[in-house]
Amino acid sequence: MTAGDRDAPLGFVESARRRVAAGRIENLIVYLGFLVIFAFFAVVLRDRGFLTPDNLANIGRQTAMVSIMAVGMTFALSAGEIDLSIGSIVALSAMVAAILLRDGHFSLAIAAALGVGLLTGFVNGLLTTKVRIPSFLVTLGMMSILVGLARITTNLEPVPITNQAYVFWFGSGDLGPIPILLVWTAVFVFAGHVLLRFTPFGRHLLATGGNRTAARYSGIDTDRIKIAALMISATCAAVAGMLFAGRLHGARYTLGETELMTVIAATVIGGTSLFGGRGSVIGALVGSLLMGVLNNGLLLLGLTVSEQLVARGAIIIVAVALSLREARTS
Amino acid sequence: MEESTMRRRIVGAIASIALVVAACGGAASPAPSSPASPSIDLNAKTVGPNGEPSTPVDQIPDLTADEVAQVQGAKYTAALLWAGAGTWYNALTAGAEEEFARLGIEIVARAEANFDPARQQTDVETAMARRPSIILTLPVDPTAAATAFRPAVDAGVKLVFVDNGIDGYTAGKEYVAIVTGDHFEMGKAAAKLMSDAIGGKGKIGYIFHDAVYYVTNNRDRYFKAAIEQLYPDIQIVAEQGFTEEGKTQEIAAAMLTQHPDLNGIYVAWSAAAQGVIAALREAGRKDVKVVAYDLDAVNDLDMARCGNMYGVALDQPYLEGKIMARIAAQALLGKSVPPFITVPVQTETRETIAQVWKENVNADPPQEILDALASPCPS
Repeated sequence: MTAGDRDAPLGFVESARRRVAAGRIENLIVYLGFLVIFAFFAVVLRDRGFLTPDNLANIGRQTAMVSIMAVGMTFALSAGEIDLSIGSIVALSAMVAAILLRDGHFSLAIAAALGVGLLTGFVNGLLTTKVRIPSFLVTLGMMSILVGLARITTNLEPVPITNQAYVFWFGSGDLGPIPILLVWTAVFVFAGHVLLRFTPFGRHLLATGGNRTAARYSGIDTDRIKIAALMISATCAAVAGMLFAGRLHGARYTLGETELMTVIAATVIGGTSLFGGRGSVIGALVGSLLMGVLNNGLLLLGLTVSEQLVARGAIIIVAVALSLREARTS
Repeated sequence: MEESTMRRRIVGAIASIALVVAACGGAASPAPSSPASPSIDLNAKTVGPNGEPSTPVDQIPDLTADEVAQVQGAKYTAALLWAGAGTWYNALTAGAEEEFARLGIEIVARAEANFDPARQQTDVETAMARRPSIILTLPVDPTAAATAFRPAVDAGVKLVFVDNGIDGYTAGKEYVAIVTGDHFEMGKAAAKLMSDAIGGKGKIGYIFHDAVYYVTNNRDRYFKAAIEQLYPDIQIVAEQGFTEEGKTQEIAAAMLTQHPDLNGIYVAWSAAAQGVIAALREAGRKDVKVVAYDLDAVNDLDMARCGNMYGVALDQPYLEGKIMARIAAQALLGKSVPPFITVPVQTETRETIAQVWKENVNADPPQEILDALASPCPS
């Protein structure tokens, strides 16, 4: 039965699609958790500035870069891979942009910074799929290479950015009342959401991450999918690096070095599986906002660094645990 | 049915954790910080770790021509084992390199421990394979370093420290000397800068390094003590510690939310000030002035453009590196060296940027800073 032969693999893709649709419900818990934490701070910190428009705008700006990286990480994780090099891509793309801007090359700076992401992601993808080194190790090595390169570029010296157009569009500007960083976040989340949920690429990506062998039998070029996923992840990190530089009016090699864990936590809290096959861009955004609200609220509470670390760690574990349980029961 | 029970439990769990957090927060606000500062005697002279009196750097004689020739003929070697990296370390290294080059001493090993005492131990072990005659270092952890540097001490290597000593080590025995900025005076100088920045009175935020580290702890404590004891019209109304310099933006933003009437913000070092300035810029607060330590091209540009950065207090890493190399050579010749050598504190504000770069890191500021300095501040 030729029809039957074709149906089986297509049926697999179909079931992946259905799982995607179910994903909307899977993520319920992260929205709920976000609301609970937000409401809690809103009550406890009602007279300490938490709900002021300025503070909420701060949270939005502070989480923008993590949100954008979490969108990228959603693709890497959903495809069954991981990208540990994102923090170092931030540093290198920021340095490259700042150095080229110093010499007056606006478009080239943007292109080169993006190129850092695209190229890194491509190499990560090739090594993962063609040489068959686990992405965990490939990107771990890549992280070290990129940190080294970022340090070499200016021998550890920070580079100021004076280009007004750049700092407006990549970090410091406002479009009317809306900080430009929120616009960037919205664009990436929207594009990422559509790509993952409503395109064949998204379905193939989830199918690949869910069961690579089955995906391959259904005619999906899983290598290409994985390479693309790692390129998306790396490019999102490169954009985040450009935004860090624009926001801080300068780049230094230490940028992004502490963001990796926050990004992974935000993505997983948002309902994306660490083991592939399940991902939610909106969830990643909410996960990132949850982390941002948490950071902000704990600071406004006046906790010391040590207390913040304990509280944040505990809440992350609870959130991830709930998110995983939710995924298993639905 | 079972699922809704679970959800309720989930919500309960989140809520109870949040409550625990809140309970801690209530007790801890405002954040506890450095020990009570009235115990600090601001007039006390800076002394070394074993009470050694400090010797100003200008009392260290240069080597005579004969001595230089003697050192050059001996083919000595040196290792540079620093704790971290960045502008300050680059200047330190440049000073040491220049002096070593003059004395014909070859640098055979370089390492940077990334503030990890275990890594520094590895660095020492690795460097010892090259049998250096001299090690210039910044001990990461005064306790752990006692073991880490033991192989070098046993091999008779001349150790010279910058900033930190090592517990249980004595100058003239295990090591030659400590060369250091005067961190007490730097704290006081930063307080003076803050007073100048905000016209002698007002409310300030205090963002300190919340980790045990000799240099930053002393600067932070002396800044705070000086503000409290010498500038009664300046009030520290907000305090928050940090360990990751990337977090200062969030901290400053939170401070501004809760204390919109701030006039100034102190932050423990310059790279960490970058986030504070970003927060002020986003809040549209050109009026809030920032004071920190150390040279930094990005913040100096803000200073040159009459932005939020008002000034920094500094030691002199280039000079320190040079002197470390010089006294190491003197020690190799068997000359006695004072145990605790301090370089004077400098301050940098918009007016002195160009001069300070020259003296401090032996370089001109980046072109964009010079450009910004060319146009006057809007008054």
